[in-house]
Amino acid sequence: MLLGTLIYGFVNSVILALVALGFNLTFGISGVANFAYGALYILAGFLSWVLFNSVGLPYVLAALFSVLLTAIAGALMYRFVLLRIRGMVLSEVIATFGIGLSILELFKYLGFIGFEYTLPVFIDSSVDIGQVVIDMQRVFIVTIGIAMAVFLWFFTHHTRTGLRFRGIAQDERTALSLGVNSDWVATLSVSFGAAYAAIAAIVILPLGTITVEHGYEVLINALAVCIVGGLGSTGGVVIASFMIGYAQTFTATYLESHWVMVVPLVAILAILAIKPSGLYGEQKELEERI
Amino acid sequence: MKKSLFLSILVLFLTGFIAYPSSFALAAEPIVIGVPTSLGFLEGKESLKAVEMAVDEINAKGGVMVGSTKRPFKVESIDIRDAAPGVPVPEALLGIEKIILEEKPVAIVVGPFRSEALLAGMDIIAKYKVPMLGTIAMTPGSEAKIKKNPEKYKYVFRVSLNVIYWAKLLGGTMATLKNQFGFNKVYLMNQDVLWARGTADAMKNKYFLKTGWEVLGHDQYPTGSSDFSSALMKAKSKGAGVLFTCFDMPQSGVLVKQWKSMKVPALIAGFVSPMAGEVAWKTFERKIGGLMNAIFEIGNIPSEYYAPAKRFYDSYKNRYGKGIQSGHGPAPSYESVYILKEAIERAGSLDPDAIVTAIEKTDKMGVMGRIKFDKGHQVIYGINPGQTATGCFFQWTEDGKRKIVYPESLAEGEIVLPPWVKKVK
Repeated sequence: MLLGTLIYGFVNSVILALVALGFNLTFGISGVANFAYGALYILAGFLSWVLFNSVGLPYVLAALFSVLLTAIAGALMYRFVLLRIRGMVLSEVIATFGIGLSILELFKYLGFIGFEYTLPVFIDSSVDIGQVVIDMQRVFIVTIGIAMAVFLWFFTHHTRTGLRFRGIAQDERTALSLGVNSDWVATLSVSFGAAYAAIAAIVILPLGTITVEHGYEVLINALAVCIVGGLGSTGGVVIASFMIGYAQTFTATYLESHWVMVVPLVAILAILAIKPSGLYGEQKELEERI
Repeated sequence: MKKSLFLSILVLFLTGFIAYPSSFALAAEPIVIGVPTSLGFLEGKESLKAVEMAVDEINAKGGVMVGSTKRPFKVESIDIRDAAPGVPVPEALLGIEKIILEEKPVAIVVGPFRSEALLAGMDIIAKYKVPMLGTIAMTPGSEAKIKKNPEKYKYVFRVSLNVIYWAKLLGGTMATLKNQFGFNKVYLMNQDVLWARGTADAMKNKYFLKTGWEVLGHDQYPTGSSDFSSALMKAKSKGAGVLFTCFDMPQSGVLVKQWKSMKVPALIAGFVSPMAGEVAWKTFERKIGGLMNAIFEIGNIPSEYYAPAKRFYDSYKNRYGKGIQSGHGPAPSYESVYILKEAIERAGSLDPDAIVTAIEKTDKMGVMGRIKFDKGHQVIYGINPGQTATGCFFQWTEDGKRKIVYPESLAEGEIVLPPWVKKVK
């Protein structure tokens, strides 16, 4: 039982990390809290479903196309909406939330209501770890989650574009003076964030069904993890994912499953009361001290 | 030339003459039926389609006779979103009030999705005196209110199953499982909403604990939950024979996938909404063989032994190109329109009190069985469609068919355990 809780808690934590990485990346670089994030996640899910079931593409190709299209949607959202209001935090939140709502409600309007929207698993089998049986899709999620986190670290530390990302994140004016086009980098960061949301959707959604409502849950989970971990801090996001993920699983196993959804909200409240900048939100902490 | 002109005029004249009665009825002022429900959810969406289908059928036959005038029905709908997580009840009530004030419906059908919204909405219905034939929300609390203050709340009727009849349907099925396979250990899992909580609590306290079952655990999940591994691990480690489930959210499909992948040696029997429709077989990659699921009202599933249910299901499928996917709502919604039509015709007017009195006297054979209301304005349910309205349990077969296994009057075959679930005796 304990082993099972530890294993499924680990999977749950990786799912949270996977969901939050893209949101965190976008905020860390462009400073935009992308409240359309959950909608982009669902957009990728439905795109994959349509490309696979209606257009008839092979699933891997459908998945790749949906990641690409979601990334383009993110870039377009920045170029045509967010660029004009960049720096006005409240306007950014309202605009992204509005775009997210529009996307989700559009799917409802188009009739994407029901239980038949699901994506196939990549590997259809299960493995025994000790006495615990776990399906390969969850193992796949863990693998992809770790790979995505490592890739993000490698990309931001060892590629020219990634270094530009970090430059803008650290000090946009200085980066500008060194010839970094901040608007272009911000566009890329929103686009990358959207692509991360899409990848998360494609590996996580086969566990269940694609529903419009799930978009709101994804946004809340991503927000909770990023607020607890410290907005903009990748390490913080990973640690917060494990804290919240394990807290949820242990709550469901040893207390009441009824309280699981309260866990992220309690975590947000607790961190806001104790350390408003989040566990590793160093830049914001510095601002607060000043 | 003259001959052909004469023939053309004759044909036009005859066409107009033949079409006269129905076109006259359709030209009359329509009788508005309001459908305020959660249209963004499958049960609400399909219930609205069933209402539209009934209305079209009635209008095609000339409409509704009100006194000496035939008038067509017209459907007006509004999405009150009460099924969506986080939507407060007052917001749903605003939607109900809006459709009453703006569209002036003669009656409401389908109605609120959540029982919380139904109970609160009864005062609005009473205030505006609009008869309502509800088909989704299931709390018996509405009947208690009607019995306590019939003059005020008499406008509210329920055509679908309520929690009490639902518990009887479940109890009958559980007794069959116990008798046939010796199961006596159960683990309960339900969504944390009024009807599902009420069902699980009623089943635990009034059925399982009183009939020799051992209740190994009871987990409740907030709407939107999508990980059920903890409860499944507990059920597996404690040796449950039956997993009793009660969910109406799309995410509950995850439960079945996890049940399969974790190889939990217990039979799922209850209600998991994504498993009810025929597309579930394809959606869940042909891996739901053995699962037992309830259908709240026959007609939402075709029955070999009750022809009206099959006729309705097939007509719906022909019209919309896809069978009914929800286990709850469409059949009683379709039936409600006919109940209303007959009540208006018996009343001979659109006066709400006269319609209510006429609805109370309903006694008809419908797509769900025989329709009669009790004093709490609840349609009476039982196990034989010839005598009462009826729900059923079906089992997914290993070749992807839905086979009704309970009640006996409708059973199309025996319950078969999946290979990884063993009988106790």
